[in-house]
Amino acid sequence: MTEGSARPGGAVAGPVHWAHRHLLDVDALTRPEIELVMRTADEMHDVLARPIPKVPALRGLGVTILFYEASTRTRVSFEVAAKNLSADVVNIAAASSSVTKGESLVDTVRTIEALGADMLVMRHSVSGAPYLAAEVFGGSVLNGGDGWHAHPSQALLDLYTLRSRLPGGSLEGRKVVILGDVLHSRVARSNVWSLTAMGADLWLCGPATLLRGYDAWAARGAAGRRFTVTSDVDAALRDADVVMALRIQKERMASGLLPSLREYAARYGLTQDRLRSAKPDAIVMHPGPMNEGVEIAADVASGPRSVITDQVANGVAVRMALLYLLAGTRRTEAGA
Amino acid sequence: MSGSGGHDATIRGWAVDPATGREGAAEAVVRDGVLERLTWLAGSAAGGLHRAGTLILPGLVDMHAHFREPGNEDAETVATGLAAAAHGGFTTVGLMPNTTPALDEPSVLARIRAAAAATGSPVHVLAYGAVTAGRKGETLSAMGELADAGVVGFSDDGASVQSAPLLRNALAYAGALGLPIIDHPEDASLTAEAEASEGYTATVLGLKGWPVAAEAGSVARSIAVLADVVHDVPGARLHLTHVSTAASIAHVRAAKQAGLPVTCDVTPHHLALSDEWVAGARRWAWEALDADGRARDPWADGALVAAPFDSSLRVNPPLRSAEDAAACRAALRDGTADAIATDHAPHTEVDKHVEFGWASNGISGIETALSVALAAVAAGELPLARAVALLTTGPAAVLGASAGVAPGLREGEPADLVVVDAAASWAPSPASLASKGSNTPLLGRELPGVVRLVVAGGRVAYAEP
Repeated sequence: MTEGSARPGGAVAGPVHWAHRHLLDVDALTRPEIELVMRTADEMHDVLARPIPKVPALRGLGVTILFYEASTRTRVSFEVAAKNLSADVVNIAAASSSVTKGESLVDTVRTIEALGADMLVMRHSVSGAPYLAAEVFGGSVLNGGDGWHAHPSQALLDLYTLRSRLPGGSLEGRKVVILGDVLHSRVARSNVWSLTAMGADLWLCGPATLLRGYDAWAARGAAGRRFTVTSDVDAALRDADVVMALRIQKERMASGLLPSLREYAARYGLTQDRLRSAKPDAIVMHPGPMNEGVEIAADVASGPRSVITDQVANGVAVRMALLYLLAGTRRTEAGA
Repeated sequence: MSGSGGHDATIRGWAVDPATGREGAAEAVVRDGVLERLTWLAGSAAGGLHRAGTLILPGLVDMHAHFREPGNEDAETVATGLAAAAHGGFTTVGLMPNTTPALDEPSVLARIRAAAAATGSPVHVLAYGAVTAGRKGETLSAMGELADAGVVGFSDDGASVQSAPLLRNALAYAGALGLPIIDHPEDASLTAEAEASEGYTATVLGLKGWPVAAEAGSVARSIAVLADVVHDVPGARLHLTHVSTAASIAHVRAAKQAGLPVTCDVTPHHLALSDEWVAGARRWAWEALDADGRARDPWADGALVAAPFDSSLRVNPPLRSAEDAAACRAALRDGTADAIATDHAPHTEVDKHVEFGWASNGISGIETALSVALAAVAAGELPLARAVALLTTGPAAVLGASAGVAPGLREGEPADLVVVDAAASWAPSPASLASKGSNTPLLGRELPGVVRLVVAGGRVAYAEP
């Protein structure tokens, strides 16, 4: 990709056409589409390696980032990604907007559109909220995380990170374990779709109270693609290629789902000792923010197997790729 | 059909009269509002008349509707609710007392009756009083005064009576008055912030689970309380409204076999839709089952055709699995369930066109109930005569003789009937619905059964324009 051109230099062109106006979840993405995101992210990765990591691909487009929940890494990552693509970025934290005066999501989205937004990146505490935004917004909606439901850009950056770290760049047949509070995790749900789509042998593991409903899902699979659900952490970690720990929130004790953080750390915390049953070169991940000493030991989080800082860095490249691909559908529609 | 409106009309069609158990080709002659003659036809005279064509049915009875007046007239009024009822083929409606203020003392009832009288609608309005003062679940409402004023039962619908001792007292007190308690079975401790029926669909969509146990446990508790009360008050009656799970139905079936005075109803949406609609499927619940009677997987079989999280599908109790919907239909067929009740719950856009988890619960359903029942009939899921009974004599029997509702095609009495063309179809839209609430997931869907004429108490309630 050169500084002067609005499009990257041809490598994106291929047999796969990106047809999604919105990115609301990864369940609708085919494997070739996911691979297109990965290839596009590779190009963005190259852009990020330049002295001035900026291209004009989204020049003149307005990207509004609307977050109804606190976030550091996802919000900043989207903002940096959009700015690297030369978009005009507006940031709205819902706490400082009319939302606190009772404005509905529908009215908020219409207002944002009237103010010139072409793309809307949103995070919301209620599952499905971005689908309502997509129903009324004339541009593209990117889901930056909704309730317990989905976090597609996180799942895709996780995939991108694994691709770059696993020998051969393939997930096929690799044992990937997601460990922790699966029930409340939009990261886990989106990863179920993307990891099984890429052929991983996916295991979801945690205390039974934090796996509620997942047996019913595992019995059918993700669009038929099987995965395993278990509370047996030893069985889950045995010979694992990848282990992703999920954050445990203190509220889980108050609602009676767990006896104590101490007990969780003892029984499910990802420690060096526990990691010994995984493969010697197993990769350790965490979507953040971490509670070190609870779901993951500090020496594991910062150890040689950890790719946690890669995840953050790759997030920008993957989000640039997503913004770029969605903007492409906009150009196609305008040209049609 | 000839004549003008319905004061005078001659209608030929397939008549179904659950009051006598008879159905067949017939000609009904209405003169000056009276069903002067119902002639059963045979041979060549019956030519062209069949179950899938023009149907002549007794006026339908909806024992569970919300007309929102007083207090939330933006969502519905008695006038628009009655127009919607007539458009749906209903000539009798039972209104729930969760108005603002709640119908927990007679003056609210007087206000509703005045509003109904002002409309001039001939649709017969029945009303329930609240079980507890202000529907707060703390102390009994003015039950005796409400009974004197003419309520046909008591309900805190929208919530269950959470306190078992208070439910016990209510069943006894109402039983002594000869009236049923209509309980909405829900253990609120299990449904805080719940969004969708706990199970496969809710798990995939990341919606907070609404466990089957919240309903089934409440049903079991209320039946156990009733079993104690009937020793003291043989007239005590418990009706469980909008049961939605196989587990609840098993409890009701066992209680009926034990001879307890318990009845229940099922809504059109719980018999015909399932939770996969929340994910974006749009097939009938009976189409969502595989050959072994297990729910199919809409993610695997390409059934997801609409956007997920449509808040018109947010309802209490939530849409359940296709297996639960099948259990509801089995209960309707075998008599475990006594009635189809709409739980017509109109809402404004402001309350409904919001995030799924924040949307008000409820489906506007009184205008689509007959069509949904006919879709089930057409699919072989309900015999026509049973479907009609569930919409007429079934709910009338639950309410009891004191409610004064006696559906039937009786010669010499004021006509109270609905003429519906089962061969025609229509698609609900905000414009075609008389209700203020267009919060139905059936918008735009072709439904069988177009209501042509509704006569209530000898007067035209609805005539197709």
